[in-house]
Amino acid sequence: MPIIVNLDVMMARRKMSLNELSEKVDLTLSNLSILKTGKAKAIRFSTLEAICKALNCQPGDILEYVDDSES
Amino acid sequence: MSKNENFVFQALHVIAWVIFVGLCIETGGLVVNFIVSLYKPAFVQNLYQKLDLSEMYQRSEWAYFSMYTFILTISVLKAYLFYLLIQLLDKLDLSNPFNSLVSERISKIANCTFSIGILSFIAHQTAQNLQHRDYVIDSLDQFWVDSEAFILMSAIIYVIATIFKKGVEIQTENDLTI
Repeated sequence: MPIIVNLDVMMARRKMSLNELSEKVDLTLSNLSILKTGKAKAIRFSTLEAICKALNCQPGDILEYVDDSES
Repeated sequence: MSKNENFVFQALHVIAWVIFVGLCIETGGLVVNFIVSLYKPAFVQNLYQKLDLSEMYQRSEWAYFSMYTFILTISVLKAYLFYLLIQLLDKLDLSNPFNSLVSERISKIANCTFSIGILSFIAHQTAQNLQHRDYVIDSLDQFWVDSEAFILMSAIIYVIATIFKKGVEIQTENDLTI
């Protein structure tokens, strides 16, 4: 998929565990895991906002576009 | 709304089971008759539901076996159809109806219904062909009188199955939307 989710990278930078993040953004561990492993098909703006607020980052820090032909 | 609270689903489930048992008994009777008629041809004049195909058997065994094969196959398919319906009603969860199992069941029901309709139509045409050759086939009409209804029903169920598949896709996408 061209959109890569770098959630684990930001979590490592902020030294935050999955459990902590799930409590802060009010998402279940399974949903966060789906997001982290790149299996998610879409993300709501409200969820993106909550994650950016919890990790103190920009959407571009979490989401990255990689052209399929380049990869 | 859970399935148990829905009276219509409960009633449908009971009716489906009753019809399924009836069809199984009919199919079983037809199978037993068929096997016995292979070893005792005299039995052909007193088949299931007082069916008398002795005249057809004496004129042409091929005609008898082909007609009986049609009857048996249609009966088995009808029993299988209601078995699929019972499975669908068992697996259907009204709080989350759009899943691949239900979608697959509905598709199978559409295919089975279409098979029954087409077979009934072919059997009806074959029987009419035999009638033109002076075979007595009036007693066989009861087995394929509703072929057009099955074909129509299969078309409607196919449309529903297609819509359901789309619903499953949308549901899956929704489940994977965080």
